[in-house]
Amino acid sequence: MAQSTRQASAGTEFVLHRTFDASREDVWEAFTRPEHLKHWWGTPGTSVEVARHELKPGGIFHYRMKFPDGRAMWARFIFREIVAPERLVWLNGFSDEHGGLTRNPWAPNLPPETLNTVTLVEENGQTRLTVTVVPFHASEEEARVFAGGIAGMKAGFGATFQVLANYLAQRR
Amino acid sequence: MHDPLSSTFAALADPTRRAILARLALGETSVTELAEPFEMSMPAVSKHLKVLERAGLIARGREAQSRPCRLEPGPLKEAASWIEEYRRFWEASLDRLEEYLRKVQAAKTKGSRANRSKSKTKE
Repeated sequence: MAQSTRQASAGTEFVLHRTFDASREDVWEAFTRPEHLKHWWGTPGTSVEVARHELKPGGIFHYRMKFPDGRAMWARFIFREIVAPERLVWLNGFSDEHGGLTRNPWAPNLPPETLNTVTLVEENGQTRLTVTVVPFHASEEEARVFAGGIAGMKAGFGATFQVLANYLAQRR
Repeated sequence: MHDPLSSTFAALADPTRRAILARLALGETSVTELAEPFEMSMPAVSKHLKVLERAGLIARGREAQSRPCRLEPGPLKEAASWIEEYRRFWEASLDRLEEYLRKVQAAKTKGSRANRSKSKTKE
């Protein structure tokens, strides 16, 4: 059975875990081959048309999502790290039809790209997936600052930050 | 590309600033009180407070000496709801992936059974 848990960290990131009844190679292929990706990427009812898929650092996965309500959007991955079959890192964002980065049309004030890191670990014949998502800013330096921020959270900052999350929940 | 949320996220990227916000979630406090648990100089704390203030995450009183700080929840809530939305996208995708892998797995098992029975009939 798949399990999904969520680590609350009000602010800068989220982390999701899943365990799949499948080999690590199969999960890796589901993430890295467009013929697989188009069967599951996106919310239910979304169809994915693949324009370009270059699985290499700096390469682009350029695709068009069609939503059940008839709207369609171009989007892209820019691959940053590819370590088969255990680690995939990419920048995720909306794009124009040529693959140029655009803002989220429904939320123009949001950071246009997120840094997505997927890691796969084999456990008793199953595959445990961890995905970490952080907003991404233009410069490498800011990305490093974020990496530092995540390390800080892993070092036990979570509990303190929970106080803040509770406070925000109360204010809703 | 700079937008209001970018400055929110940049401000939140620092662990000391997150700790300051967590402290302020408990209530309004003076800069002196804020500085105590961090073993930092007052100018260092003031620098962090300026970043937080610019990002709209805190507000400071105008009372001359103490200038008490308090949390401004607006930008944090915006950041939190953005994350929530994206998290939902991922959750939904992973649900579909789970379903898809099950199908792939079933097709494989079926395929290997078929192969096995084929090779048996050859024997």
